[in-house]
Amino acid sequence: MTATQPDVPTGLRARVLEASQHARAAGESVPAVQAISPAEAFSRAADALYRTLSALDSADWSRHTIRDLDVQGLVGHLTGVEDDVQRCLAGDPAVKLADHVESTQAAATRQAGRDPAQTLGEWRDAVSRTVSLVAARDDDDPEACVGLHGMRLPLHVLLVVRAFELWTHENDIRLAAGLPLAVPDPAVLRLMTRLAAPLLPVAAASAGAPGPKRLHLVLTGAGGGTWDLDMTDPAEAGEVSIVADAVGFCRLVADRITPAELDPYITGDHGQAAGVLAAAATLALD
Amino acid sequence: MGGTDALLAARLAAGDDYALAEVFDRFGPAVYGAAACVVGAGGGAQDVVQDVFVELWSHPDRYDPDAGSLRGYLMLLARHRAVDTMRSELRRIARQERHYRLTIDESPPSPGEQVLSAHMASEVRTAIHRLPAAQRQVIELAYFEGMTCREVASAVGIPEGTVKSRLRLALAKLETVLDRQLLEAP
Repeated sequence: MTATQPDVPTGLRARVLEASQHARAAGESVPAVQAISPAEAFSRAADALYRTLSALDSADWSRHTIRDLDVQGLVGHLTGVEDDVQRCLAGDPAVKLADHVESTQAAATRQAGRDPAQTLGEWRDAVSRTVSLVAARDDDDPEACVGLHGMRLPLHVLLVVRAFELWTHENDIRLAAGLPLAVPDPAVLRLMTRLAAPLLPVAAASAGAPGPKRLHLVLTGAGGGTWDLDMTDPAEAGEVSIVADAVGFCRLVADRITPAELDPYITGDHGQAAGVLAAAATLALD
Repeated sequence: MGGTDALLAARLAAGDDYALAEVFDRFGPAVYGAAACVVGAGGGAQDVVQDVFVELWSHPDRYDPDAGSLRGYLMLLARHRAVDTMRSELRRIARQERHYRLTIDESPPSPGEQVLSAHMASEVRTAIHRLPAAQRQVIELAYFEGMTCREVASAVGIPEGTVKSRLRLALAKLETVLDRQLLEAP
C-alpha cells in the first residue's frame, strides 16, 4: 500500500540534523567504548595472546604460520621484537633502522627444538620487561619520538602498533591451530582504528593510489567510528565514502585479507575506493 | 555488509552523520506525516520529528534490525511521541480550565492561544467522549478536576485500586484510538 506523504516543512531537515549533532557529535561510536591507555592496550593484547598460547596442544607449536615460521618460531620473533623495543627505550640507535624481520630472525630460529613452555616463558618474561620499562619511563614530553624498525613515532603510538601486531600474530597462530579468529577487546580495537584510519591518506599517497579529494570512512561495530580525511595527493576533486567492519578493516591493514574479502559498502568512485583500500595493506609490518 | 536497515543502523552507531541525513531523506516525510496526523501540521509535528531523529541518533543501538524495519521503528517512535504530546496538551488544557474557574474574574486566554490548542484538544475530547462511562468519569475527575486517585475514589465511592485500574484502561484505550488515527494517516 502506498500512501501520499506530506512535504517536510522547509528548514526541518536542517533543524533536525543540527539538533542531532548537538545531542551527539558525529564520529564517535555508541555505545561508548571504555577509553584505555596505549600501555593498557598493549598489556591486554599480550594477555590475549598468552591465553591463546597457553591453550595450544604441543603439536600446534610446530604448525606453519607466516613466512617460514612455525608457531614456536613466530613466538620467538615476538620475543625478538620485545628485545628490540627494550633496546629502543634504552636509546640504542642500532634498532632505529633495523629491519623488523631480519632483526628478530635469530630469536625466531633459536626456538627450534626447544620445549614450547620455554619459548612461551621467554616471551612472557620479555613482555613483562617491556611493560615495566614503559611504566617506569618518566615522559616529560609524551610526544617525544622513539625509533624502531624504520618507524619514528611517539611511545604511546608505538604501544598501539605493538598491540596491533600481537593481535595480528595471535590470529596467525589461531589460524594455524584451526581455532576461530580472535576479535580484539573493543577498548583495544578503538585505539587500533584510531591509529590506522588517519594513516590512510599517507598510505594512499605512498602507494601512488589515485585517491579522491576527501575520504569519508565509517568503521562499524564496537571500537569503530567515522572519519573525514583529506587525502594527501588527490587525483581529482570528489569524495568517496567507505563503510566497513572495524575488525575487518584492521585485518586489511594487517594485510591478512583483501579489499574484496572486507566487503565494504562504497559510495562514489569505486576505482578510487579500491585504490585506497589496497594501499591500506601497505601499512602492515609483516 | 548486511541489509539496508542493518547497515544504516551500524553506520548510525558508528557516528556516521551521512547515514542520519540518508535516514531523514528516506523516512522524514513519513514520520512528519504521522506526527501531523495526531498533533496537527505545524510546530508540534516538527517537534515530534526532531525528537524522533534525535532519539535515533543518540541511541541507535535501541533499534534492532532483527526485530523489524527501521521505518516501522521510526513510525512507532513517532506515534509514542505524538501521543505523549497529546497527553501533555490534555494536562495543560485541564490545568488551564481549572485555573480559569479559580480566577474567573481574570482575562481569558487570547483567541490565538485558543486556536492553537483547539485541534489537539478536540481530538482528545472526542476520544474521551467515546470511553465507557465509568472510565470517562475517572479520567475527567483525575485530569480535568485535578483530583488524586484517593479523591476520585472517595467522590465516586469505589476503591482506590479500582480507580487506578480504570485509569490504566482508559489511557490504554485513548492511546489505541489515537494510534489508530495515526495508522490511518496518509
